[in-house]
Amino acid sequence: MQEPEPTWEALMIAANRGDGAAYRRLLLAVTPVLRGVVRARGAALGPEGCEDVVQEVLLAIHLKRQTWREDAPLRPWLYAIARHKVADAFRARGRRIDLPIEDFADALPAPLGPDPTVAGDMEKMLGQLEPRAADILRGFGQRGETVAETASRLRMTEGAVRVALHRALKSLARLRERMME
Amino acid sequence: MKTEDLIAALAADTRPRPGVAHRLARALPVALAVTLGAFLLFWGLRSDLAAALASPAVLKPLVPLVPAVLAGVLALTLSRPEARGGFPVAGLWIIGAGLLAGFGAALVGGGLSGLNRALATPSLLTCLTSIPALSLPLLGAALWALSAGAPRRPGVVGWLAGLAAGGAAAAIYAFYCDQDAALFVLPAYGAAIMIVAALGGVVGTRALAW
Repeated sequence: MQEPEPTWEALMIAANRGDGAAYRRLLLAVTPVLRGVVRARGAALGPEGCEDVVQEVLLAIHLKRQTWREDAPLRPWLYAIARHKVADAFRARGRRIDLPIEDFADALPAPLGPDPTVAGDMEKMLGQLEPRAADILRGFGQRGETVAETASRLRMTEGAVRVALHRALKSLARLRERMME
Repeated sequence: MKTEDLIAALAADTRPRPGVAHRLARALPVALAVTLGAFLLFWGLRSDLAAALASPAVLKPLVPLVPAVLAGVLALTLSRPEARGGFPVAGLWIIGAGLLAGFGAALVGGGLSGLNRALATPSLLTCLTSIPALSLPLLGAALWALSAGAPRRPGVVGWLAGLAAGGAAAAIYAFYCDQDAALFVLPAYGAAIMIVAALGGVVGTRALAW
């Protein structure tokens, strides 16, 4: 028997209740759609440049997720965030872009290419972060650590790890912003 | 860092984040208390308050409050990236046009010399500095709360926050100010509120960007 696929709204609501697995599933489902739009629009940026933009959008979705109202459909919100950040990213790279919202709805999801996801900007940003913040991010991202594992490795409380992770993501977004100016 | 790794890091950050309304509920009462406290301490109520409230001057605190509330609602709405303005936009245009028409009518009645006479008072400078000063705590609270939002146009939302803060401050200041002539109140309060709105727009462009 196959389980019905939960809607993006259901996943986001679960995420808002602290369900990290649902949240991850949602972001993994959303990413190919974002990538499709960015690649269709920004072929000139190259696969790596496009992936940088995709990561910027994901970061913005994360840091602004409280602006989604749980009684509203998720897609219009998601596409509005994406559109704003994509336009931003293209402007920062000296390209104006006209981005009709329908592009998002109609975009064909793009699978991962050969190896474009070792996005360049993100590595640079991580290098500029405080070493401990970068280490915590890499722990969760690349080594798949849990909060408890990070806490015991760094001799921090779990609460402190959660706060540090959140701050690290915020600094990352701020660094990006600064890089664009 | 690969995109999938970034997603894993994002998914680990599951702490709930307070939204704009939540932050506003926390900050606004504090800001209002500061503004009201400063008002009572440094400005105080006009001595003929009871008589004024029984006259058309009662409109002085009420009139700026209406656009202030509309602008506040609109700023909250537009702090969501997918939102559209809706009815408060129309409301603000109508009120703006109404106030301009009121000013025009008063000007026709009193003439330019009447306007000059009405504005040739030290109260003008007091008004133009007091309203922005009283609005600062409110504007700060509003911008802090709105910085949790994701407005498509940060400058516009900052401007609306300034309009709301300036309007609220003008309503409070009206309890001190004893100049009741329409040819004074409309241009002086209007200019003071617009100063705050412009400030909100300038600060908001940066502070509300994301």
